[in-house]
Amino acid sequence: MSWQDGGQPVTLPPRARFRAERFLGAAAMAAIVLITLGNVLARYFTDISFAFTEEVSVFLLVFLTFIGSAKAFLDGNQMAVTYFVDKLAWPWRRRWLLFGLGMSALMLALLAWYGGRMAWDDYDLEVTSPGLGWPQWIYTVWLPLLSLLVLARIAQGIAHLIRAGGASAPRVPPVPPGGRPDERSR
Amino acid sequence: MSWLLFGTFVVLMCAAVPLAVALGLSGVAVILAAKMGIMSVPNTVYGGIAKYPLIAIPVFILAGMIFERSGVAARLVRLAEALVGKRAGGLAVAAVLVCMVLGGISGSGPADAAAVGAILIPAMARVGYPKEFSASLIAAGGSTAIVIPPSIALIIYSVLVPQASVPALFAAGLIPGLLCGLTLMAAALVFSKINGWGANDPEPAPPLWQSFKEAGWGLLAPVIILGGMRSGAFTPTEAAVVAVAYGLIVGLVIYRSMNWKQVWDLLGEAAEISAVILFMVGLAALFGWAVDTIGVFNQFAKWLTATGTSETLVLLAITFMLLVAGTALDATATYFVFLPFLLPVAQVYQWDPVWLGIVMTINVAIGQFTPPTAVNLMVTCRLAGIPIEATLKWCAWLVAAMTATLLVLTFVPGIVLFLPRWLGYL
Repeated sequence: MSWQDGGQPVTLPPRARFRAERFLGAAAMAAIVLITLGNVLARYFTDISFAFTEEVSVFLLVFLTFIGSAKAFLDGNQMAVTYFVDKLAWPWRRRWLLFGLGMSALMLALLAWYGGRMAWDDYDLEVTSPGLGWPQWIYTVWLPLLSLLVLARIAQGIAHLIRAGGASAPRVPPVPPGGRPDERSR
Repeated sequence: MSWLLFGTFVVLMCAAVPLAVALGLSGVAVILAAKMGIMSVPNTVYGGIAKYPLIAIPVFILAGMIFERSGVAARLVRLAEALVGKRAGGLAVAAVLVCMVLGGISGSGPADAAAVGAILIPAMARVGYPKEFSASLIAAGGSTAIVIPPSIALIIYSVLVPQASVPALFAAGLIPGLLCGLTLMAAALVFSKINGWGANDPEPAPPLWQSFKEAGWGLLAPVIILGGMRSGAFTPTEAAVVAVAYGLIVGLVIYRSMNWKQVWDLLGEAAEISAVILFMVGLAALFGWAVDTIGVFNQFAKWLTATGTSETLVLLAITFMLLVAGTALDATATYFVFLPFLLPVAQVYQWDPVWLGIVMTINVAIGQFTPPTAVNLMVTCRLAGIPIEATLKWCAWLVAAMTATLLVLTFVPGIVLFLPRWLGYL
């Protein structure tokens, strides 16, 4: 995607640093690696099984997915087919950019709202998790919560893009030599 | 209903809506229209991501990044140079070799192309290769990373098609991946000989034994990953985490090219990249759920057999369709959009699902370096500082060469299925 301005994507507010998301993402990643490594070591050197930790690992996967996605929506790192839109002049490209963010906001709003109802049902019906027997809602409640976080970040991007106006076309900034996350994920 | 699903997806996709959201919303549209219960939306997304086999994806991404940062690529280049020597086409062959070995550590095409391109595009330019050629070749070489195990694309395929296990797919990808690499080497050698590229390199080749000792730690990584899975010692996820631990030892202790601060940054970066893939997998599950409940796709297969279309023609049509789609879509989206059609057809013709996965993935790999929207080319052309259009002349040949290999693998499934059968996965 190439809708960026002076080294900064035009949907990324200059003060949005994503420090908390980055920290929590790295922490979730570290936790996944440590739990899995612990499982391997435990299986080879003791006869204790940590197989029940599987549900924590897959929960961390969901956590990591949403915490890491927030930034990708604003800095243009969600995979998208920009071939046609890139051929348009900036004022129209900006409109399609807003459309894409709007659609993304709609998707996340659906997840936040109905995810909230799903977590409420788990709480209300006292559903317990299969592995550890913990209340299921302590896992599922994160889907609506993190969806709200991503939604807030998208809203931040939409607001920034609207405030920036449509007068001047953005310049394309340099990209890190290792490639952007949306490229490296393919 | 199927028109609603695919129509919504194509419209949103062309409007540059993120692919994940385009897949998710078209699924939601069908779920609403068919009155299938909106509460399935959060359940499907949560369940689509919370799957044990998917844990291998972030861990393999992390492993690939650790090896990349630890300086393995540069050492592998020296070893490959020492092996092939200084001759016309030497560096070109070395480039593809290194792409293939790194592909045995990482599962991402553009990441592979970036790691190799950063070192070899300048090096190849110094001895006379045009940048247009080296950028094309390394983009093509990098694409073998998604065929050669470990492969993120094949893990996602296995989640969608449970009959094809990850170990079976990984074993099946090895020989086709190597064949694709050999094809590219052969093509590179022909062009280099004709034009005399790399023939007058003033510097002597690096000493073989010395370079082997330095690169040995990197060469061991694919052996550990694949050997561990083959011996039954590790599941794919465990193999990935062992690769991470091994990579950390190599980077922090042996090469001393990394510190803990950099490791923490890598964790954050790997989390961001994984999130992009898994978000797509989660929302694509909505698309998959809609497909399952419509179930119109069996009729397509029935219609195909009723018209008596020959298998050869069907295979050629599928290859063409996937090659076109592969230039725009990544592996995840390709699987979710095309498997609903292809699985029933595969049943009719009794195709092996493992073979289908490998063939589809090679199609996506070719798409990664087919101009003008190819993701690997974007990476290597950026490194080379040239426009993508300039590579068209060379890319066309490389695409043609690899497509020829693809067709051989398509029509002779035995080559793909030999290794997984021999290892007892099928």
